Amino acid sequence: MKRSQSFIRWFFLLIPCLALSGCWDRRELDEIAIVMGSGVDLTDDGQIELSLQIALPMGIQGNMQMAGKKKPVMLVSSKGTVSQDQIGQIQQQLSRRIFFGHRAVFIIGENFARHGVDQTLDTMLRFPDSRYNCFILTSKGATAKEVLSSPYPLEVIPSIGMKNMQVGKYTFAERIDKFLDSFAAKGFMPATGAIRLIKNGQESSFVIDGEAVYRENKLVGYLSGTHSKAFKLMRDQGSGMKIPVRIEPAGKLSTGMITADLLTTRREVRTFVSQGPPKIEVEFRAKGRIIANDTTLDLSKPANLSRAEQMLSNELQKMISGLIEQTQKEFQSDVLGFGDILHIQHPYAWKKLQTEWLDTYPEVPVKVLASVILERIGRTQKPGHLPK
Amino acid sequence: MKVTGLQVFWMILIMEVGMTLVMTLTPGVQAAKQDLWIAILVAGLITLLITFLVTNVTLLYPGQNLIELSQTILGKWLGKAVIVIYLVQWYTIIPIVLRQFADVINIMIMPETPKWAIMLIMILLFSYAAYSNGIVTISRCSEILGPIIILMVILVLLSSVNNIRLTNLLPVYADSGALNIIRGSLPSASYLGHSVEYLMLAAFLYQPRKGTPYAYWATIGSILVVTVALAMAIATIGINLTPTLWYPFFEMTRKISLFGFVENLDPLTIVTWVASVFIKLAVYMFITAYGTAQFLGIRKWRPLVIILAPIMLWFALIPRNVTEATTNYLMNYWVPFVLPVNMIGLPLLLLIVGKLRLRAQA
Repeated sequence: MKRSQSFIRWFFLLIPCLALSGCWDRRELDEIAIVMGSGVDLTDDGQIELSLQIALPMGIQGNMQMAGKKKPVMLVSSKGTVSQDQIGQIQQQLSRRIFFGHRAVFIIGENFARHGVDQTLDTMLRFPDSRYNCFILTSKGATAKEVLSSPYPLEVIPSIGMKNMQVGKYTFAERIDKFLDSFAAKGFMPATGAIRLIKNGQESSFVIDGEAVYRENKLVGYLSGTHSKAFKLMRDQGSGMKIPVRIEPAGKLSTGMITADLLTTRREVRTFVSQGPPKIEVEFRAKGRIIANDTTLDLSKPANLSRAEQMLSNELQKMISGLIEQTQKEFQSDVLGFGDILHIQHPYAWKKLQTEWLDTYPEVPVKVLASVILERIGRTQKPGHLPK
Repeated sequence: MKVTGLQVFWMILIMEVGMTLVMTLTPGVQAAKQDLWIAILVAGLITLLITFLVTNVTLLYPGQNLIELSQTILGKWLGKAVIVIYLVQWYTIIPIVLRQFADVINIMIMPETPKWAIMLIMILLFSYAAYSNGIVTISRCSEILGPIIILMVILVLLSSVNNIRLTNLLPVYADSGALNIIRGSLPSASYLGHSVEYLMLAAFLYQPRKGTPYAYWATIGSILVVTVALAMAIATIGINLTPTLWYPFFEMTRKISLFGFVENLDPLTIVTWVASVFIKLAVYMFITAYGTAQFLGIRKWRPLVIILAPIMLWFALIPRNVTEATTNYLMNYWVPFVLPVNMIGLPLLLLIVGKLRLRAQA
């Protein structure tokens, strides 16, 4: 009796050992093709083109001496009608298995975005090795493939360069999950950073200096300049932003401009529902410091400082209302998520509003208030170079 | 075979927390939307009612388990009929949990491993635990694994704090309404209602009379953990995506990113979750084998484990796809039948008839 029992116990324990050793999903490092960035385009003949930037371990290993000889990445692409099918086609070009776990960026080509982003979105979520910490970008004036094949001198792998730009706070960054979430939301339209190619002397490179605005699933336009800045402020990615403003007419020795660096920003949105379209009030508050004073004024004097604060507040107010007007009139897209706030503040009214919010939004009156507090003015009081 | 109160506490807690976190979020959110946390509190009330009924039933005849108890209270034939209803529950839950476990592994981390291989490892492991020394082995395991599992849940929650956006939980109540909140509470209630297994476990306690507080604390503890964890999962993922994901709790751990280098923690969570599945399956395997043996009047229950294991593996391969195993079983059997009958109705019947019988004797 005892012997048979212990035999059965050993049987229970030993069989799993056999099964545990044979792993169907085993993937060794030298068997996978690590995708660092991927992009999707619509070609002129209506096909979808998928491009993958794959890291070449051989190119990275040799460090700086080798870097010139071997390329650190390779670009593969394939055309077709279904994006998932093209991954299979690309696989046929590769001796290693495609692995998406380290994908840093996903670039949507401008042409593709304008015709509607749809089927590729599902691929991002359904795959077990798709990760959330991948950034979404939309290309501007170039295809995603061109952007992915552009070299980038500062990093070994260009996609890592894009990722680090997005992690740093100087570009508008949107991750996959938030992007998908805004597709599903009724009161919140998707937006991504916009990436375009530039030439630095002889070398070509890329820059992320604007935002792509979507309406439902279609790209409707790009934000740039002050509107792009205002957009980052409104999406709580504005700390560290530099805002120049004129506070006195240009003189002989000065341009009359100061530049403020925003330290913390806070936006508050209030919505009002009564008869007719709802009303929206945006209150924007920021704390900042002066980092450049090219005027004749001594900012340590309270009167001058409050003048600077006043001018800055006006400037921010103008920037934000300009942005809102552009989203309402030009894009007709609620990228700032006012609908979501309306949903939270007036849930019962929203039930009626949500069906036609896309058409209501351009008509909604928005009032913008902005106020800035300057906490510090830097190491000097009066500009040091001015004659006493 | 004797267990301590603390061991019973951990067993019930693990059985309730592990599966509820992973399996009930999606069906709950589909009904109650962002008010799921209210729904879980409602589910908690239902669960406390179940615990109240169950503990009081065991106090009628301390030292008797469900199989003996129902025959003592309801007589031989009616008692046996009641046992059959419970046996159906036990015989179906093991294959389903096993299949759900394999689905999670397949969907989340190992898409190409055949499911029989995943299940085979698990079934041999928990059958070993049930076979070797029955409830004693299992309860000792849960005493060790329980704190680790809870620690994992707490760690996941703490490291997700920077990902949550509380506005995802707003507006409260307006989007769902009372009816939807109650509908959303049922899946959670049916999974949290595992305190019903206390009917079988209580008889193994050193002091069956003193087990009641442990059952209550296990229930309260799991309600708290589940409420906080699921509210955080919704606040992290958002109400638009949560209803479309199979396992939002794991997706939440996928989003953890600390200091730029602590990332992709989901395999760790899944492995600890597997520990909770192991305890749950082992407990069910033991009470199924032990209960069947007692029901059929077989003196030795151990050989039944060996007979049951391949049968369970075969049953687990029957559901055709993930929807049949996870959603259909939950929505067509567990919620409409097990919750009202096995978890509330029959314990209530046993309690009332038992009380009357004791009064008549006195």
